[in-house]
Amino acid sequence: MLGGDIRQMGKNRRKIQIVILLGVLLLGGYAIGKALFVSDDGLPKRGEAPPDFALLSSDGQPHRLADYEGKALVINFWGTFCPPCVVETPEFQRQYEKWQGQGKPFEIIGINLSEDDLTVSNFVRKYGLTYDILRDKRNKIETLYGVRSYPTTFFIKPDGTIMDIYVGGMTEKDIDERVMKLLQS
Amino acid sequence: MSLVDFSSDAFIVAFFLYCFGFLFYGVAIIGRKFSNRNSEDHLRRWGRIAFITSLLGFAAHLTFFFTRWAGGGHIPTSNMYEFMTFLAMMVMLAFIVVYAIYRKPMLGFFTLPLVVIIVAFAAVFPQEVQPLIPPLQSIWLKIHVTTAALGEAFFAVGFAAGLMYLLRVVDFNSQEKSMRLQQRWVEFTLYVVVIIIAFIGSVFSFRGMGYEAHFIQETVSISSQGVESTKTDEVSYSMPPIFKPYNSQVQSMDTFLGVKEPLFETPSWMKGVDAARKLNTIVWSIINGTILYGLIRLVLRRRIGAAVHSVMDGVDPDDLDEISYRAIAIGYPIFTLGALIFAMIWAYIAWSRFWGWDPKEVWALITWLYYTAYLHLRLSRGWHGRKSAWIAVVGFVVVMFTLIGVNLVLVGLHSYAGV
Amino acid sequence: MLSFENTKCECGHQNPVGTVLCESCGKPLEASEAASDMPLEMRYDGVARRSQKSNPTIIDRVWNFFSSVKIAVRIIIITLLAAIVGTIFTQENAFVSFDPATYYEEKYGWIGKWYYKLGLSNTYESWWFIGLLVMIGTSLVICSLDRVLPLYRALSKQQIRKHLQFINRQKTVYSAELKNDPEAWIGQMEEQLKRKRYRVHRDGTALLAEKARFSRWGPYINHIGLIVFLLAVLLRTIPSWSMDNYVSVPEGEIVQIPKTNYFIKNEKFTVDYYKDEELPEELKGTNRAKLYETKAVLYTCSENCDDPLLEPKLEEVKQHDILVNHPLSYQGLKVYQFGYDDTPKLKAVKPVLIDKETGQTYGPFDLTMRDPELNYKLGPYTLELKTKYMDFVIDSAGEPGTQSREPNAPAFIFLLKGPDLPEGGVPYMYFPKQNDKVRFSQDAINGDIGKRFEIKVPKMEDVTFAAVVSTLNVRVDKAMPYIWVGAGISMFGLLLGSYWQHRRIWLRVDNGRVSLGAHTNKNNYGMRAEVAAVLHKTGIDVEPKSLDNGGNKS
Repeated sequence: MLGGDIRQMGKNRRKIQIVILLGVLLLGGYAIGKALFVSDDGLPKRGEAPPDFALLSSDGQPHRLADYEGKALVINFWGTFCPPCVVETPEFQRQYEKWQGQGKPFEIIGINLSEDDLTVSNFVRKYGLTYDILRDKRNKIETLYGVRSYPTTFFIKPDGTIMDIYVGGMTEKDIDERVMKLLQS
Repeated sequence: MSLVDFSSDAFIVAFFLYCFGFLFYGVAIIGRKFSNRNSEDHLRRWGRIAFITSLLGFAAHLTFFFTRWAGGGHIPTSNMYEFMTFLAMMVMLAFIVVYAIYRKPMLGFFTLPLVVIIVAFAAVFPQEVQPLIPPLQSIWLKIHVTTAALGEAFFAVGFAAGLMYLLRVVDFNSQEKSMRLQQRWVEFTLYVVVIIIAFIGSVFSFRGMGYEAHFIQETVSISSQGVESTKTDEVSYSMPPIFKPYNSQVQSMDTFLGVKEPLFETPSWMKGVDAARKLNTIVWSIINGTILYGLIRLVLRRRIGAAVHSVMDGVDPDDLDEISYRAIAIGYPIFTLGALIFAMIWAYIAWSRFWGWDPKEVWALITWLYYTAYLHLRLSRGWHGRKSAWIAVVGFVVVMFTLIGVNLVLVGLHSYAGV
Repeated sequence: MLSFENTKCECGHQNPVGTVLCESCGKPLEASEAASDMPLEMRYDGVARRSQKSNPTIIDRVWNFFSSVKIAVRIIIITLLAAIVGTIFTQENAFVSFDPATYYEEKYGWIGKWYYKLGLSNTYESWWFIGLLVMIGTSLVICSLDRVLPLYRALSKQQIRKHLQFINRQKTVYSAELKNDPEAWIGQMEEQLKRKRYRVHRDGTALLAEKARFSRWGPYINHIGLIVFLLAVLLRTIPSWSMDNYVSVPEGEIVQIPKTNYFIKNEKFTVDYYKDEELPEELKGTNRAKLYETKAVLYTCSENCDDPLLEPKLEEVKQHDILVNHPLSYQGLKVYQFGYDDTPKLKAVKPVLIDKETGQTYGPFDLTMRDPELNYKLGPYTLELKTKYMDFVIDSAGEPGTQSREPNAPAFIFLLKGPDLPEGGVPYMYFPKQNDKVRFSQDAINGDIGKRFEIKVPKMEDVTFAAVVSTLNVRVDKAMPYIWVGAGISMFGLLLGSYWQHRRIWLRVDNGRVSLGAHTNKNNYGMRAEVAAVLHKTGIDVEPKSLDNGGNKS
């Protein structure tokens, strides 16, 4: 083989080397990065838009996520069988009254965890809830939102992305801080 | 007589033919020195007798396999007993293939005892035909298990040849430091083999004596809510309890050598109903194995390795090295196909994913990676011969752990392949 | 890293840096190789690996790292050890119902705590394990590329007349004075070798015979397959390429498969056990499953799929009996039998109201556990349902409540109205399950009214239980075809490389003396036997073993 031939090959070789190493870096980086940063469960996360839903409220009216567009939104998953849900409900009601009273673009949705009419309406009456109570059937939306323990509360900014996901019972202070942030954003 | 009963008889016939095959190989190899006639003739003649006996054993084994298949209604590879007998049969097949290539009677002298041990080990497990549970009702039970076992069988022959190589080249008269280390490890390997034989022997002796001991074990557990609950289990031993289960009472116990009470209690960190029984069995195996090893030493008047080494001169170690490598090289693609690719296909059909990091899957992968490393090391200088032989020997330990250890020690989806 | 400069062979051929054996005549070039008289290092035919260079840059160093088989073996062994560590304790993904943060410590003590803390409870998803796999993949690409191209070049233009040192230092060698005419003998050899399916090339008194060269590509094909396989595994992480969902479908109902347009109906679920006569002695009396089967119908939804007000418009697309080894498969969607729940759960009862004083019974009435009617008219009496609990419990504050949404311990509080009862009615608490009635002492709660009236279910037929629920695993895995293709390519390469051997025989006659050297990449034993057989046919008898040039002891 001639010397020139070798040099020619050398140039190509360097190109191939760089292409392959870059490819490895890219694909390998993607694979490792995926393992490092993303829990791959397909469930909603902070910064993402929450999954869409269409549910009936206690009075039989359909409600969609789109209906609340442009407002600061709190979605609270609750059930009468979960003691911390029961404890935190009046706090949500107070918050609702506070911000609505100030005329802020703010809504709370309480999505009940697939219980029946009587149970829900008794509860709503008992605590005098005035915010929208929606009725999930057969755990559908709850699964979509990846709710595993109750209560779980989603805080959604007016731009339609999730600011925070809170698992467990909340005090009025907890809620207030977050709603304030929601309204500022 | 039912087909299944007939097949059990064929199994016993196969077992004894294998024993005789081994015996004749022994006559061929050891008798060579004492033969009055030409030692080559002696070797050829007895080698042939031994090989034919082994072939007959294999035929009986095949008879067992197919009659049990016909009688039981499904391929007999669905539980530990059936799988181990099948593995032994495949080791015979691998031996026949390798023997057909290399024609070395010495190979039989090492493979036949391996087959005998596996067959006897299989008989430790319950032997009834068990109807298939839904996950096993698939054509892949036939395809996956048989190919995986065949691949592993070639690894077993590679192990036998590797061990032969070591026994051939390790000089048992040398006082040199590195040689003495090798002597010790080879001897330890043989000691482990003796322990396994002792384990099988102990199981059958105590079973023959009808030994039984029963315990009531109380397990206290505290749930996450802080509620204390007590669970009682009955634990049955078929060997005299050196170790009784943790926190247990003797319910009934046969006396053994005048001992009426368990000697020790299993420590509390060994959890699980079977942990104590397994510990007890292991301790018995080690005790009996050590006694057996001592007896063999007394008879031989030297180390077992030294004794075997002395009958092996005249065998070309390069051939043994090549046989070991070749057997593994033949087995590797079969293993890849059976234990990984077919396994993935079946897992995809039955469990909805082709790979799920189940312990058995992981150990199949570990075995594969292990032999991958072996095959790549064979490309390098300095990894032939002794190192290579050690890798082949240890490799078989990895294979056996994948087959048995995972089911007995770890948990996972393959648990139904267990006892 | 490589210090030799003179790569020009005495035959006049200019070799690349790193060449061990001259590419043309085969004379050993590397100093140590040339000085030895051991069999030659024939790996990759002694050609230089593509990347070997005299002054490496950073890129070269990285490249060389992954180009080394020794490094590859090390990565394999580290991966193997990591995989072993991951099997010590159960991995997190194997259970759903435990909190891993506490599980490991509770079950395995401080070892378990550290196992969890070090992330070993998630070994196979950890960044470092994935990193090891990435390194294996990189090594596969670079090792193969670095070797296959030079090897291809070397094998596609081979010199027939090789250097004597090259021939005499093969593993299989033969050398002797020829008794008869060299030309005629070589002709004989040529013919015999052709019979053994060799391709024979002649150059006067030199000869090269070769067969099964393709087997040399086996390992590289295998590596390509593995790379395809690994890339396919990576493809699976693309979100829209895979789906893994579980749906629980009660018998007789249609349920939407989450995030899809598919609905699935469970027409009938069957669990079957082996009868005692089918079981061996030791298993008699145990529940050994024989069959799990869901008769399923798959629908696609064309309209109103997510609207809670309207019925979705469904179109049947497939019917299938799902068994454990027999999933439903429709356009890349697969539905597997996963589990079932047949624990009896109360669905509805048909109780009557009994006036214990008169012995008169009123009813029966239908009382469903889920969404019951609120008013019941029973003769002169009415029952007004005020409160209900699915899973009755008295909480820590002494208040009645429910501890779950499943009808495990249902309880109803009615307002009983009627003649000779107070105007506003009397509350009456009713537990449909007998054991709950006792457990929560229904009679004591009801007091006087309980002495006069009783709500009870007269016979077993008036109790209905919820249907058996079949749990199905719904999967989409678009990368599977690539996985299988990768595995297939890999297997094909393995077969090629393992069950065929590339064999070459060189011979030359110099002044009536024949020198023969033979090389194979595997199975020297077979090579020797073949050479001996060929020589035998030309009238030269040798023991195969005598052809062995040694060399395994290295």
